[in-house]
Amino acid sequence: MKKRLVLLTLILTLAVFSIASGTEILFWSMGNAPSALHYEWMEQKAAEFEAKTGIKVVYEEIGWADGPRIMNALITGEGAHVFQLGTTWNPEYAATDGLVEIDIDEFGGADRFFAANLESTTLNGKYYGVPWFAETRVLFYNTQMFEEAGVRPPQTYEQLLDVGKKIIEVHGEGRAIATAGTGAWDLIHNWAIILWAHGGDMLNKTNTEAVFNSAAGVRAMNYWVSLVDTGLASKACAEYNQPQADAAFISGETAMAFMGPWNIADIVHDNPGLPYSVVEPPAGPYGRAAFSGGSNLAIRNNASKAEIKAAKEWVKFLVSDDVLADYTKNLTNMIPANKYALDDPYYNTEIWQTFIKTLGYATAYPPIPEWGKIESIIQTNFGNVLTDYVDGTFSNVTSKGYLDAAAAEVNAVLQGN
Amino acid sequence: MKNVRLLGYIFILPAVIAMILVHIIPMAWGILISFKDLTIRTIRNWQEAPWCGIDNYIKAFNPVSTVGQRFMRSLRNIVFYGFFTISIGFFIALGVALLLNKPFIGRTFVRGVILIPYITPDSVAYNFWRFIFQSRIGILNEMLLRIGIIQEPIMWLVGRNTIWAVIIASIWKGWPLTSLMLLAGLQTIPVELYEAARIDGANAWQCFRYITLSYLKPVIKTIMIMNILWNFHAYNQFVVLFGENVGIHAEVPNTLIMREAFDNYNYGQESALSVILMLLMLTITVVYLYVFRQRAEE
Repeated sequence: MKKRLVLLTLILTLAVFSIASGTEILFWSMGNAPSALHYEWMEQKAAEFEAKTGIKVVYEEIGWADGPRIMNALITGEGAHVFQLGTTWNPEYAATDGLVEIDIDEFGGADRFFAANLESTTLNGKYYGVPWFAETRVLFYNTQMFEEAGVRPPQTYEQLLDVGKKIIEVHGEGRAIATAGTGAWDLIHNWAIILWAHGGDMLNKTNTEAVFNSAAGVRAMNYWVSLVDTGLASKACAEYNQPQADAAFISGETAMAFMGPWNIADIVHDNPGLPYSVVEPPAGPYGRAAFSGGSNLAIRNNASKAEIKAAKEWVKFLVSDDVLADYTKNLTNMIPANKYALDDPYYNTEIWQTFIKTLGYATAYPPIPEWGKIESIIQTNFGNVLTDYVDGTFSNVTSKGYLDAAAAEVNAVLQGN
Repeated sequence: MKNVRLLGYIFILPAVIAMILVHIIPMAWGILISFKDLTIRTIRNWQEAPWCGIDNYIKAFNPVSTVGQRFMRSLRNIVFYGFFTISIGFFIALGVALLLNKPFIGRTFVRGVILIPYITPDSVAYNFWRFIFQSRIGILNEMLLRIGIIQEPIMWLVGRNTIWAVIIASIWKGWPLTSLMLLAGLQTIPVELYEAARIDGANAWQCFRYITLSYLKPVIKTIMIMNILWNFHAYNQFVVLFGENVGIHAEVPNTLIMREAFDNYNYGQESALSVILMLLMLTITVVYLYVFRQRAEE
């Protein structure tokens, strides 16, 4: 009986490989690491994979602005078979009906991945991607500047203001924290964590109505502006994009910044002597909250059976424990979305454990196809609030007005108007 | 005669086919989908996307709808931007062209050098301006502070100054080509005309008014129509300077259209906005050429 089972498994495995073997697939990912290193790693892994399976993988790097290119591939069938999707993109692309539905058990089962990342691959309860790597943002702080100001890392948002005031007394105005402004495409992620920590949410439980314009939403928005208004952050932050805010911390200019794991590589590269550490995002009246981001791997469904089979094998290979741990620790500085890959001793440091702990309670945005549009609406109105601040017309009323306008627009989108 | 005409048709046939393929069909396709509710949910089976009549056009002009408000605001912004960019740019270009029309040592070299802003790729040039306009470390604020014109840094990249930032950068980028075209026009004016006018007692202003400007009229007409059309096409300078979220003071039709298409995946709405913009430009061109022709005939 046992022999028959082994034989059957062998035949099935061979059948899978014989269908896919000799197939060539194209893989698109964003520049998750410096381009030359990224290509080198991908080509090396593609060669290993080909030696194992006979499937040839051609790798091509695309940009984060290349969403339309992926969309084009889904419509025309010309382009990558496997591609990287930001977690907030996955449901949107799934709604085109252009992605292969995933049986998550084929990829190790749901328990293998961080819950929020896995949720980001879903649309109407079905999986359309496999979590690849995760990211969340924590509070980086400059230990030397903190020591000189005689303060400890803040545990709440209120404490962050107090700590900030002491820092600017010692180090000067605008040097407590670096924040992103209108130039940041991911501005919303900074606001979302304060919103959640103050008891607010983006949409209602059934994802049919915007609720971010609640009192918590206004408080979160005003809190972000107050960081600049009280002089904790430089007024110039209103125009910053995220890399500019990151650079202000990494260069030692500011004492705090909300940053992601990829910034560790920036510190190592740009200012290895920077005395820094990280703590979880501060707590609000409703506890701590964090944003769960990262990327998933999706497969285009207007491809041949053999190509889809080959694409699945490549995805399995990329999310396997060793390959993923190698990719994240040696190349991208992201967190593997596959929890087993975290068993690697590399992650047993205080900094990485803070990220992993934070990721444990991090929240993903609602997995609905309209999310991209909703994010753009919120982002625009957040930008308007900052614009008002710069123009000197900001107040609680205008802040609430923009959130209400955004909510009305989001409701229209959710109702299909 | 008939054979000659046939030959003519044969010669222009490749160009006509190319025009149909790259201009007419995509344009017709754009007009067609402007009457459809084509979104991310329907894009894969676009043939089956529901027709929505003129809903997308109504939204574009409805002051209560968000798209309507933004579109109207974007038109106001582009007209404001165009007025200052074209007019200031033109006067700078004319001044420089008049100077370069005078003989001096190194004139050819200077003529080449002034083209540098124009030949610099948009991404490089406007990124360069983005650095100049940085409020904290930008060279412009640094200079203004040192001279004492301002007491604290101005925010150029956020808020109501954004439109002035993009006007300044666009003037810098655009005037050299205008200048070169005007210079080419100036060089066609016979020197004898000026000599004769001076003998007849014309002063410098009269020479400029009645000879230079008269001879430059056709060139100016071409420059103006090109600048007006390019102005409505403006996109790169806004996005490179301010990022995708350009803000309410600097939102122009093309940034709005791109957002509707590639952020919101609202292809029907985006096409309707594009068609309106195209019709607007067509109208401006026809009216401008008509008025110019009437004046020329007078």
